Formats: sequence, structure tokens, C-alpha cells
Amino acid sequence: MIRYAVRRLLEAVPILIGIVTFIFLLLHLAPGDPATAYFNPNVSPEIIDRMRENLGLDRPLHEQYLRWLRSFFTGDFGYSFSQHRPVADVIRDALPNTLLLSAVSLVLIFLVGCAVGAVQAVRQYSALDNVTTFVSLFVYSMPGFWLGLMLILAFSSPAMPEFLRLPISGVTSIDYEFMGPIERIVDRLRHLVLPSFALGIASAAGVARYMRGSLLEVISQDYIRTARAKGLSERRVILKHALRNALIPIVSLLGLYLPLLFGGSVVIEVVFSWPGMGRALYNAILARDYPVVMAASFLFGVLVLGANLLADLLYAVIDPRIRTD
Amino acid sequence: MRWCRHSSVVAAALVAGGCAGEPPVEGPDPGAVPAAERYGGTAVVAGLGEIQTMNAFFSRDYMTDQFQAYVLFMTLLRYDDALRPEPYLARSWTVGPDSNEVVFELRDDVYWHDGTPTTAHDVAFTFDRVKDPAVPYPNRSSFDAWESVEILGPHTVRFTLRPHADFLHGWTALPIMPRHILEGTAPEDLATHPFGTSEPVGNGPFRFVEHLPANRWIFEANPDFPAELGGRPYLDRLVYRVVPNETTLFAELRSGGVDMYVRVAPVFVDRIEADPDLRLVAYPFPNYSFIAWNSVRPFFESASVRRALTMAIDRSEIVEVVRHGLATPAAGPVGAWHWAYDSALRPLAHAPDSAAAILESAGWRDADGDGVRERDGVRFSFDISTNESRERGSIAELVQRYLAQVGVEARPRIREHQSVIADVTSPERRFDAFLLSWTQGLVLDERDQWACDRIGKPLQFTSYCNPELDAVMDSIPEATDRSAQERLIRRYDAMLAADQPFTFLYVEKRADALRRRLQGASPDFRGELADVRSWWLFQP
Repeated sequence: MIRYAVRRLLEAVPILIGIVTFIFLLLHLAPGDPATAYFNPNVSPEIIDRMRENLGLDRPLHEQYLRWLRSFFTGDFGYSFSQHRPVADVIRDALPNTLLLSAVSLVLIFLVGCAVGAVQAVRQYSALDNVTTFVSLFVYSMPGFWLGLMLILAFSSPAMPEFLRLPISGVTSIDYEFMGPIERIVDRLRHLVLPSFALGIASAAGVARYMRGSLLEVISQDYIRTARAKGLSERRVILKHALRNALIPIVSLLGLYLPLLFGGSVVIEVVFSWPGMGRALYNAILARDYPVVMAASFLFGVLVLGANLLADLLYAVIDPRIRTD
Repeated sequence: MRWCRHSSVVAAALVAGGCAGEPPVEGPDPGAVPAAERYGGTAVVAGLGEIQTMNAFFSRDYMTDQFQAYVLFMTLLRYDDALRPEPYLARSWTVGPDSNEVVFELRDDVYWHDGTPTTAHDVAFTFDRVKDPAVPYPNRSSFDAWESVEILGPHTVRFTLRPHADFLHGWTALPIMPRHILEGTAPEDLATHPFGTSEPVGNGPFRFVEHLPANRWIFEANPDFPAELGGRPYLDRLVYRVVPNETTLFAELRSGGVDMYVRVAPVFVDRIEADPDLRLVAYPFPNYSFIAWNSVRPFFESASVRRALTMAIDRSEIVEVVRHGLATPAAGPVGAWHWAYDSALRPLAHAPDSAAAILESAGWRDADGDGVRERDGVRFSFDISTNESRERGSIAELVQRYLAQVGVEARPRIREHQSVIADVTSPERRFDAFLLSWTQGLVLDERDQWACDRIGKPLQFTSYCNPELDAVMDSIPEATDRSAQERLIRRYDAMLAADQPFTFLYVEKRADALRRRLQGASPDFRGELADVRSWWLFQP
């Protein structure tokens, strides 16, 4: 198993180098550059040229690439052109916010998805199944940004009772610094509710569909009939025997949903003014802030590959039939 | 845990629909609150864009400039409400006999927030860096006429310069930077000094507390701000929040999380005016929208045809539909915000019939009856490039419709901003026409855009050339008093209005939405934050 993990990690290296090289080329093929941000009738073209020179943008492309690669391998991500600070600082500030949001969404996706799917499967074709199926299909087809905006409008509306008012944007309240430790945790959690819901709920609906199908398939197996014939309670049959086996294909979804979450975070972070990596990457692309785009794409690559590896390893843990060596 | 200053009166909150303690529509008069009781509280200003740096050498947008000049730092001079320079960090100034030297006498009671006095050395240091070619200071042209600096005493500096009418302008916009912190950094490394983003030290009415990138900047009142300039600000804290989505931003404003939404999106105007807790402040702003015509293309080579195109476009309707009234149709590039603005110069009237007649007489006729005119086998059919934004997309579609009415086919091409900029600034001018807007400075030197000798350079988009205009533009910076300059600027404006190398669509009215509890704030051309020292929060 460890050998397998190490081999997978080694395989990831050329993939990551390929990703950053491809992004580098793509970025430089796109029109414009960071100095264009100063496009303005009051800024003379000579000053823009000077900026290009200071940023090293006047050098040939391969030279810029090699220079970037060299400093990258020595752990230096360079300076953000548009934010005037080290890229390492940009990531240090933004990454935890994205990871927190994604983690909470992920928990929401799998908890809600599995619970709803299981209930649907156990009560197949009941009114409850039909209603939840309808609702989850409805939620599944809703774009996250639209759902986010609707939540923002609803929760900021004067009609919303005071105790239901949740923060509609940002990670902390304006008076966060003056709060005690417990209040701070509560404040952060309250800020997480709407964005993690908007980010995760569509995927939760997807997981529920998978879970329903998977559990239904397991329930129709012979060993479940055997378990029932032994006189086990229905509760025990489902929870002990069926659920565990039904979860196996669901775990592989983890590798599928993590990239989806990181992608979705770009839009959700803009809508909820969440200072995370998605927004940093989006702004950096618009500003042609090459060092940030490169570092952020690299990190997203690492996260996605890591999530896939994790899913494969979990798969092996849950299902003893699968061998990794 | 919503942010409420007084959350005790829940019932009142439900009735008012916002934070408890919001001033009701009818009620106590804010004007009756004595100055001594105005102190305290946190005001939240929010906008779509991030404020990237407090380093004045790299400032590049309007809100960043304001936070530097009015909040954290001080400029030597500032403008009064008639745009006349008045003392600020400089207590007084004297202009030499031939207007070729200026001596500034600085205040001696201004300290950097780390306790170091602000002196003539800081002014000289700031000036040296601004003039240093290694520092890409975007507004260097404001100091073109300023030649050298000499320190005469701890609080006295003398500059030599070439005489110029608006020579003091640069000093109203450039915050003085602390020499003792930045002097040791090589000029080309200044951009990456942590001073700009994580540890700025100012000398203005507010001190830096914290910068949470992509989130907010927090400032607190400077208790040592000179009493003669008003002393400590009323507010305890001033926060700038970035909210990158306008719907979210408006929701925050309405629910009380934000006190001022800067440069409000026109779609919200009606709802702001209908909300008793909000008020809207609008004022002329030096940002104009235009369609640039590439005069190398056969369609746009003649001024009379370009005038006809402008006449075909109903700019009043664009202002109503797209800007919800927050703009004024423009004649030339000089808007009502400028002191030399000529109100007698009227924008071309909307006259599609005359426009069609002009096109007809210029040889553009629809011989084949397909609804599009042609001349010498060339169809009057072209692309209008613009960047993705709700406003510009709508304008491009309206223009397409107006021009179709006079037999001209315009195809909107909406693309990402940088791609548009790359095409229009390229020496090959890869565009027929483009629609953008931009912000001008008070000192008008726009030779980069119009002068014949700049053709091929990035900002000479249209390749328009008029030697007579060149002569006028060359003499504007040479004029040594405002009346001479006014005549030249008006002439400049009138010539461009007549030739229409651009169709000058409209001059923006910038609008800000404020919660009524925020008192003492009266945004105008100088910016939202010019009077931030005297803002206060009304709590009946």
C-alpha cells in the first residue's frame, strides 16, 4: 500500500510539471500583460514600458519560463505583480479559507447526500422518496452562483426574522477583533453556513442519487435476503450489512467531487466575497498576474491529484477485494 | 452575530428592518448633535475592487489614491470645494517672481504614526523617487514641469520649475512618503516593499491597523492629528471592504453591513431612492465613455461621416436606459467636472435623418436595397469591440440598432478586457471601432491620444491627425495662467467635438449610496473620502 502511494506520488511529478508548463504557455499566448492594468490616458507609454522592464516581461519567453521554473524549484514563488507582495503570502492568506470552505462543503455533501440517498432507498417509491427525488433533482440543476445570490437576497431581506439573519458575505464580522474566543468561533461558523451550502448542495443532491442507486442494488442481493431470513432487525440489516457495501462506490466520488468543489469555489468566492484561492486565481487571470496564476494552478493540481490518490487509497481500505500492489 | 452597534432593542430592529439604532426616517435632527458627541463608531466603506497598496509610488486606481491621500497620508496641498489649492501638510507656499520657484513651508506638528516627525526630508525624498526613471510612478507627468528640490530648513523646501498654469496640481494628489522607512530600498525594489501591503506607516488622520487581503483594510483614528486641521477624526475606525459582486454589495448596504457603497451600479438607483434608510449622492466625474473610430478604415476617414454616426446615436436614450440618468451626453472630451468646461459647446443633437443625408452625400448609398449602404463596392459594415460588462454590452446593442436605422451595419464583439486593450493599442490597430470608457486627470495633456507624431504609439488609437489641434495641445502646458489655458482647452475641446475622432458618448455622474446614519459625508469630484475626518455616525 505504501509502495503504491509512493509510486502514485512519483507519477504526479511529471503531471504537475506538465500542468504548469501548459498554463505558462497558455497565459503568455493570451493577449495583454500585467502592465496593461495601467491602461489610462494619464499614464504615458514610456512608464508602462518601464514597468515591463522592472517585471522582467521584456525578456524572451523561454528565459522567463526558465527563470520562473528555477525559482519555483527553490521554493520561491515570486512576487505578485498586482498585489505587490510575495505569492507565498497570497497563498498563505487565501488557501486556508478555500480549504475550510471546501472541507465544510465536502462534509455537507457526503453527510446530507448519503443520509438522503439511504432514506430514499429504504423507502423506495414512497411519497418521501418521490418528494426528495424531486427536490434533489431541482437542487442539482441549479447553478451555484444563482443559488448563492438567491440566498444572499433572502437572508438580507427585511422580512427575514432577526434570529435567522446569517452573514451574507465575508469570513468574519467587522467587529471580529473585539470578540472573545467562543464568539469568534461562532462568528466564523455563521459566515460559513451560506457559502458552503451554496457550494455543496448541488453535489449533495448528486451523491444522494448515487447513494440511492447503490443501496437499492445492494438491498436486492442474496446476502441481504439471508440476513433478513436470519431474523435480523431491518435496522441492523441496513446499517450493518447493506450500508457499508453501498458506500464503496460513493467513496470513489470523493475524487470526483473535490475538483468540482475547487472549480465551484471560484464563483462562490466571488459571490460571497470569500477571500480564497478561487477568487485569487480568477483576479490573477484577469490581471495577467502570471506568478499567482502559476502558483495557484500548481496548488489546485496538487489538491486534485491528492484527492484522487486519497479516494483510491480509501477505496482499498473499505473494499478488501481491491489490491494496490 | 450580525454587526449591530446596539442590539438591545430587538423590536425596533424588526420594525426598522435593519440594525437596531438605525435612525428612523422621521426623528431627531442629526444637525442638533453637538460636535463633542459625534465621536465613536466604525464606518464601513465598500466597493467592488481591492485596494492593492498604500505605497503612493504605485497607486493606480481612484479608491486607492483616495485612501492614500485622505486617510493614511497627507498631501502638501488639497483642493477646496471650488478646486482651488489650499494648505494641508504645507502650511503655506510662496511662488517666486517668475513663477519658476516655489517654497513650501511645512507644518511642524505632523508626525508619522511611529512617532517620527514629518519633515522637508520626506518631501524631498518623495519628489526624488517620483522623478526617478527607475520608479514607474504612473502620474509622473504631473511633475514634468518640476525640476529640482532643495531643503532650506527642517520644514522648508524650495522647488525650481518651469512656469505652468496648473503647476500645483501634482501636490494635491501625491501623498508624502516616509523617508526614514523607504530610503534604504533601491528604487526598482520599492514596489515589493512590505510597506505597501502589510506595514504602512502614515501621517494622516487615520492610522493603519490591519490589511486582510481580498477582504478589508482597517484604519483607526489618529489622536495626534493636528488640531488646526480638525484634530482627531470623529470615527473610531474606518474600514474598507471588498465585495466583488454588486448584488451582494447592495444587499450588504441595505441590511446595514456597509455604510457607503462607492460608485454604485446604475441598476440600483431606483431602489436606493425608494429606501428611506439610504441616500444617493451623484456628481460629475472625469470618466467618459466613447466609441473610437479607426480612421484608417474607409468608413471613418472623414469627419463629416463620423459626425453623422454620432448624430445617428441617441445618446440621451443611452443615458436613460443604461445609466439610469447617471451621466450627461458629451460634446468633446472636457466634461462639466473640469474648471475650463464650456457649457456653450452643445453635444451634437440626435438627428437620424440629417445623419442619413450626410452619409448619402458622402457617397454611401444603399444601391442593392439590402438595408446597408455601400460605396465603391465596400459595404458600410464593421465590428464594434468592447469588453464584457453589462453596461457596455447594452450600449453596443443600442448603437447597433441606431446605426441600422441609417443603413450602417455595426456588429458588437464582446470580449475579455485585456484582449480588447491588446488589439486597440497594437501598432496594427486590429479593430474597426471600439467602445470603452476612461478616467481623465485635471491637467489635460492628451497628446498621446491625438497628436500626429504619436500615430503608431499605443494610445493614438484612431490615427487621427490634425496639425492645428497639435499646435493647440502643445500650447496648453505652456500657458502660465488659467485664463490663457481656459481659452486653449476650450478650443481643444471644440476641435475634437467638431471632428469626432471619437463619438463622445457621455460623461459619467459618479454615484455613491450612503446609509443615513453616516453623517458629514458629502462625496464630490474630489472623491468620497475627501472629508472623511469629519464623518460621524448618527445614533438617536
